[in-house]
Amino acid sequence: MCGIVGYNGFREANKVLIDCLKRLEYRGYDSAGIGVIGKKLQVFKEVGEISKLEEKIPSFEGDIGIGHTRWATHGAVTKENAHPQLSSNKKIALIHNGIIENFQKLKEDLEKKGVKFASQTDSEVIVQLINQNYTGNLRDAVINTIKQLKGSYAIVAACKEEPDILVGARNESPLVVGVGDNENFIASDISALLKYTNRVKYLDDGEICVLSKKDIKIFNKNTKEVTKEENIITWELKDAEKSGFPHFMLKEIFEQPDTINKALLGRVSEIDRSIRLHEKIEDLLNYDIKSIRILACGTSYYSGLVGKYLIEQLTDIPVIVELASEYRYFGTKSEDSLIIGVTQSGETADTLAALREAKNAGCRTLVITNVMGSTATRISDAYILTQSGPEIGVAATKTFTSQILILLLIAFKLASLKNKLGADELSKYIIHLKELPRKVREVLDNSDKILNIALELKNVDSVFFIGRGINYPLSLEGALKLKEISYIHAEGFAAGELKHGPFALLTQVTPVITIVTKDNTYDKMIANIGEVKARGPEVIAIAEENDSEIEKHADFVIRFPGQSNPLSCIPIIVILQLLAYHVANLRECSIDKPRNLAKSVTVE
Amino acid sequence: MKAVILAAGEGRRLRPFTETIPKVMLPVANKPVLEYVIDAVKNNGINEIVIVVGYKKEVIMEHFKNYKGAKITYVVQEKQLGTGHALLHAKSHIKDTFIILSGDNIIDNTSISKLIKDDSKYSILIKEHPNPSKYGAVFIEREKLREIVEKPREEVGKFISTGIYKLSKNIFDIIEELANEGIYDLSSTIQSIVDDGEKINTIVADLWRDIVYPWDLIHLNETMINRTPSIFGGTIEKGVTIKGDVSVGKDTTIYSGCYIVGPVIIGKGCEIGPNVCIFPSTTIGNNSVIQPFSQVGNTVIMNDSRIGSCSVIKNSVIGRGCIIENNFSSIDGSSTIEIEGEFKKLEKIGSMIGEDCNIESNVIVKPGKIIGRKCNISSLKIIDDNIPSNSKVM
Repeated sequence: MCGIVGYNGFREANKVLIDCLKRLEYRGYDSAGIGVIGKKLQVFKEVGEISKLEEKIPSFEGDIGIGHTRWATHGAVTKENAHPQLSSNKKIALIHNGIIENFQKLKEDLEKKGVKFASQTDSEVIVQLINQNYTGNLRDAVINTIKQLKGSYAIVAACKEEPDILVGARNESPLVVGVGDNENFIASDISALLKYTNRVKYLDDGEICVLSKKDIKIFNKNTKEVTKEENIITWELKDAEKSGFPHFMLKEIFEQPDTINKALLGRVSEIDRSIRLHEKIEDLLNYDIKSIRILACGTSYYSGLVGKYLIEQLTDIPVIVELASEYRYFGTKSEDSLIIGVTQSGETADTLAALREAKNAGCRTLVITNVMGSTATRISDAYILTQSGPEIGVAATKTFTSQILILLLIAFKLASLKNKLGADELSKYIIHLKELPRKVREVLDNSDKILNIALELKNVDSVFFIGRGINYPLSLEGALKLKEISYIHAEGFAAGELKHGPFALLTQVTPVITIVTKDNTYDKMIANIGEVKARGPEVIAIAEENDSEIEKHADFVIRFPGQSNPLSCIPIIVILQLLAYHVANLRECSIDKPRNLAKSVTVE
Repeated sequence: MKAVILAAGEGRRLRPFTETIPKVMLPVANKPVLEYVIDAVKNNGINEIVIVVGYKKEVIMEHFKNYKGAKITYVVQEKQLGTGHALLHAKSHIKDTFIILSGDNIIDNTSISKLIKDDSKYSILIKEHPNPSKYGAVFIEREKLREIVEKPREEVGKFISTGIYKLSKNIFDIIEELANEGIYDLSSTIQSIVDDGEKINTIVADLWRDIVYPWDLIHLNETMINRTPSIFGGTIEKGVTIKGDVSVGKDTTIYSGCYIVGPVIIGKGCEIGPNVCIFPSTTIGNNSVIQPFSQVGNTVIMNDSRIGSCSVIKNSVIGRGCIIENNFSSIDGSSTIEIEGEFKKLEKIGSMIGEDCNIESNVIVKPGKIIGRKCNISSLKIIDDNIPSNSKVM
């Protein structure tokens, strides 16, 4: 999952590419490189983040070029393995995102023909192949090459003998074309290009595009030209900037009152007591659904788990949440089950593959995603956008809360369609929904209090998160947030499971964070806190503001506003996010770019 | 030219409305005061803006980000010692002549344009004011500044300083000198340049408005609502009557039977009605709901609020996130209000309710009463006293 960008226009390619790469850095930051065609084809690469590349790069002349930021898959993090990759005769340069599955065989074949390889990457195989196939037309060489490739790729190639075009192609890796005036762009995602254009054309799998300064031609596998509509992106550049906040993550946490409103906007009516979703979605929900399967990875998987509790509670329809990477190979596919894919980027390779499997088996598919026009929206029967704006921090925050809200809306809609939820009860929930932005604001306003608790966690080696019911997936998410940005070992458990094993890991210096809501598990949670306390560790409880009992049991209490109800999960998540953020910040971790991680995981 | 906007202050006299947001973010006609200031600067071609933030800075940074393509730099003033001290924080970002504005006063484009075009090295925007003793009173001699006195004891002159200046970057040296003596306000710095013989041009501003007390929000809303361009989004059901300038935001629904007389601004994602009457100079924030048979006039209702059925609200301010149940009545009339030891007599004033209050059904609030933030008032109560924040009225 690397970030790639190509530019062909009138500006200094160097500067445009670096600018765009900075916005793609969330996709990987092991090494980066740029290739520009001016009087000749020049390439410069550097190990490390884009800022390092920017510092050292010489000024290349030229208004056409390609750039790459890498997240290593094949081959170590070295200058040789950084992109652009060159053909042995230095004629063709290529950037690649994805994994070529048959690269070993292709490489051996090429080596037999005497081609010498300079790197360990699968990407170099592609560029060498293109060079082999090159007979004076870059487009045809690319088309002939991709016919030999197996696996996922988004590639952009430049050839010094055709210094006025770039050629891009994709299969199962994201690639979009940005349309400008007398300049055109191609990149892994549109947020990289927002500074220059908000007009975009989406490429589909198997398509090839030829980018000149004046126009864009898109072809299918059979070299037949296809016409694509132009889409206007309403995201603004400001959404992709830090604007005074020390980290994107903190900015995105603070955006949540707003993003919650955006997720609900036009979908919830308090006066009419109704949930309005797009017709296509209501059609999907209207079928006789016997079960629901939620497919997702990482944080999205946890939002699916939260969704499971909500949907089952409200509709009595069984929900199975599966890791997309497992489901695609091992899951059962039945036609009377509704598949809900959850993916922030809409490009998560595992989730896409699982969705394709399900669709091929005849399942109805619905996708929850943040990115309009992403692959997921195009391969599913219907999709709902979370409308959160671009999320740059690698640790998901605002998109997580919005995903849960959308799952909630689906639960409400389903429940009322299946007559499981009366209008009056629905109206009560709608009022709770509309109060969410205010409750989240109150949590944010108490950020300093959470910082004080974070001081307690700053120097520990291990933290447990426990909860029951819907608070169990919240514990998992709390632990994930903490470990991914602060590098403290953290585990989430169902509170009842502690005594079945994890207790063995509990020491006096393992703080336990308990999520305690006033529901039918309250007494059990208090008992669990007692069990934990008896073994000596500190207990930090997250509890509702009017709970005076909890203080007698826990060492520290963080309050969420209002009374406990199923929607309390949203303010609780924000507390967990702030806690993780403050701990990581106190430990001076690289919050927006945790080690070894990247945001959109477009490899499998 | 760059602009420096001071936006670090808290606005204590505007409590409870400034308990979680800084004064500069208070909405006037659904737009934070600071947005008016930034717009005035931007409309004069200044694209590089330094905003000095402090109190509740996240609220400002989250709202503006990089507003309409302006290049905004945020600098943080941890302790609010004075305006000169605040300006000092912007020092490293200023290379030549610049303008400085305070983020909590509404200002118009033309005044800023006059200031920028003035060819003197130093200039100040001044304004006539009926009550100069509350401000920096300004004395003029042949259109040059002679003296500036903060909150003069004796009643003098008619002009005050708007706090908006064009300054050369030398000013930082003088502020630093004075800061060493423990003087942190900008007026003293300006006075010391005048004393050293520097000529400072005075320019009278066209529109300049200050917010000092909570009820100023009502008056200012009334002034600014007419200057706001109408937009029309959302859904208007059959049987709605709309007269005059009424602005309706995206995804808002006005249900059947509503009667709305402009100027009125209704934000995004609201639900109004059925059968709600809204009368002139009312602003309703985003995502708010007004339930059937209620009447609202000359009132500011901020974001995320809900007004129950059959409520009557006039000449009032309802903070964001308030949840008010049925049959709420805010009586308007004359009242004497005490704020920080001063007594103010007001005619035609309703109630001022801080953010996130929960008010149960059938509550009556007497004229001029201020209810703090996050109060819970149970049903059938008559409120005839101010209520401090976080109270429960049982």
